[in-house]
Amino acid sequence: MAIVELKDVHKIYPLGKTEVHAVKGVTFEICKGDFISIAGPSGSGKSTILNMIGCIDTPTSGTVIISGQTTDTLSDKEITELRHKEIGFIFQSFNLIPVLNVYENIEFPLLLGKNRPKKNEKKEFIDFLIHEVGLDEWRTHRPNELSGGQRQRVAIARALVTKPRIVLADEPTANLDSVTGEAIIELMKKINRELETTFIFSTHDPTIVEIADHIIRLHDGVVASEERRNREPCRKNEET
Amino acid sequence: MNTWRIAIKNLSRQKKRSFLLGSAIAFGVLIITLINGFTGSFVENVGENFAHIFAGHIFIDGVEKTPTGKTLYIVRNDNELIQAIEDLEIEYSFLTRHSEFSGTLIFEGESVRQSIIGIDWEDEQYFTGRLILKDGSFENMQNPRSVILSDKIADKLKLQVGDRMLVQLRTYTGQQNVGEFTLAAIILDPGLVGSISGYANKTYVNELLNLAPDEYMTLGLYLPSMDDIDPTAEALYRRLAEDVDLFAREGEEDEVNPFMAIMQQIEEEEWEGLRYRLYTLNDMLSEVEQIVVVLNTAGLIILLILFIIIMVGITNTFRMVMFERIREIGTMRALGIQKGGIRRLFLTEALWIGLGGALAGLAAAALVMVILSQIFWGLDSPIFILLKNGYMTFRLSFLQTAANLGLVAVLTLLAAFFPADKAAKLQPAVALRTQK
Ligand SMILES: Nc1ncnc2c1ncn2[C@@H]1O[C@H](COP(=O)(O)OP(=O)(O)O)[C@@H](O)[C@H]1O
Ligand SMILES: [Mg+2]
Repeated sequence: MAIVELKDVHKIYPLGKTEVHAVKGVTFEICKGDFISIAGPSGSGKSTILNMIGCIDTPTSGTVIISGQTTDTLSDKEITELRHKEIGFIFQSFNLIPVLNVYENIEFPLLLGKNRPKKNEKKEFIDFLIHEVGLDEWRTHRPNELSGGQRQRVAIARALVTKPRIVLADEPTANLDSVTGEAIIELMKKINRELETTFIFSTHDPTIVEIADHIIRLHDGVVASEERRNREPCRKNEET
Repeated sequence: MNTWRIAIKNLSRQKKRSFLLGSAIAFGVLIITLINGFTGSFVENVGENFAHIFAGHIFIDGVEKTPTGKTLYIVRNDNELIQAIEDLEIEYSFLTRHSEFSGTLIFEGESVRQSIIGIDWEDEQYFTGRLILKDGSFENMQNPRSVILSDKIADKLKLQVGDRMLVQLRTYTGQQNVGEFTLAAIILDPGLVGSISGYANKTYVNELLNLAPDEYMTLGLYLPSMDDIDPTAEALYRRLAEDVDLFAREGEEDEVNPFMAIMQQIEEEEWEGLRYRLYTLNDMLSEVEQIVVVLNTAGLIILLILFIIIMVGITNTFRMVMFERIREIGTMRALGIQKGGIRRLFLTEALWIGLGGALAGLAAAALVMVILSQIFWGLDSPIFILLKNGYMTFRLSFLQTAANLGLVAVLTLLAAFFPADKAAKLQPAVALRTQK
């Protein structure tokens, strides 16, 4: 069963007296455990689509379904809870909280929401994530003491700390050099395999796109092509 | 790790800005605390100083109306008064029996009106401790015809200690009489009471007034604390009313001060025989308490004006902060913080500044108070009447301080609320893509 479904989604931004039709009827499904890339040139609508999947923006028309839940009927509070529970975010410019150190940044999402984990359980998992992204020696450093690649590793750990089923990454490598960028995507892929977390990342870099199992190519706000490798379409009876 | 700690960490990001904002709040709190602290002890100091000048806290005058319609001030026999005081077991520090007249002092062609109080110097040793001696000595009061005058009167008559002067007065029944005084000592007139009385020996004053040695005009009671004045006066009045005639303690019109009201009754009411009038220092000082209310109100207005200015500062600062951290807000929202969480974060930051500033202001006020109360302003200082033995004293009520802190907290929160609310209501996607 699909973990993310978009059905004829449109997004129109008002721009002064005119409008920008950024997404023009997009329909696709993403399966649980997918490692998927939304590819396309700048301005093709990648960010807009990721924002709508991440429930930080709403479509002008059409439906976004996350984990079987239709999002357009939810209140802001419910949507925020859904985001907290189901979705992790990785941003192009890292967006770490500058006053918090590595450990605290990763911990931050756990301080929100209703079901807060037990203290030692929490610490164990954060330590596991820090180890997983290779930052054991940096746990008490603040973001401004880290390199770009290291910051993005913190962001990956932070995105994973609530054990979300979906992690969204909007051009996570755009602010990194190509070697570091590839390493980040490889890290995401490793975690995708180990934790079965669904990763959706956007990029306009062709070499990065190739690492994905499932590629949706956008052009000018519509899906130009869709390509699945090593992956079948979502099985209907699969548990989510 | 919670909102409180994140808020504190956020404040440390712009140390200078947080410090300035906190200092502004501290300054406001400093000012209001000093005003409150000073007025808090103001009434008490003024009261104590006046109590020394008037020689008591509660007073009872004897007033007689003769068949010919004359008003005489005299206590011939105070058995009933003393009985009432004993029955009520009133605790007093001193009980005084004074006679007093207003006469004309004449010396080498100069003359001046002056009221003279007759005092029992043997019994009332404490009294000398309250007077600020400028020249001469209280020892000189051994001479039965001695008088102590204020520096102002001595200057007017160009008197030196040891000079002898004439005094013209009317006896208690209104007959002309003349006597003679020797200047024993010159005391300071602190100046706020109009002019203070002169002091002479009661035996001689009674002789001049044509009173018997054990007769007098005013019975005065010194109480251990000024707080006792009103309840004690109330009880004493009720007890006395059982045995003697008394003038009512309240005037008909509320706006006249209570002391004047009692005075007017003597003029205006129809009555005969012997009556007593009971009045207190508080009756005479009701104006002083009005001054305190005025001062405290002024303080509060100053505080409010200061805080309106500070609030504008806080609102603007938090607008700036919101804009600076707009992407951070978007990030937090994306990570699952609710709108209320963002609002709480901002408000907590503001509250920390407010409380930090207020506490710093209180600490600064305490320091200033300690320093000011170490300074000896001199017994002849023009603000003597406000001081305690020449020192400033401060008294802060806990309730008022708490109320001030509460006000600061509410105003800071109010000032930060609008930017905080705006930040909370930002669309996460909008906040995230905003370019600074
Ligand atoms: N807030 C906005 N207001 C107006 N137009 C926007 C806004 N955000 C994006 N757009 C426009 O929508 C189109 C798609 O943008 P975006 O989703 O950011 O593309 P991408 O991420 O692929 O570069 C572009 O033409 C862009 O200019
Ligand atoms: Mg983009």
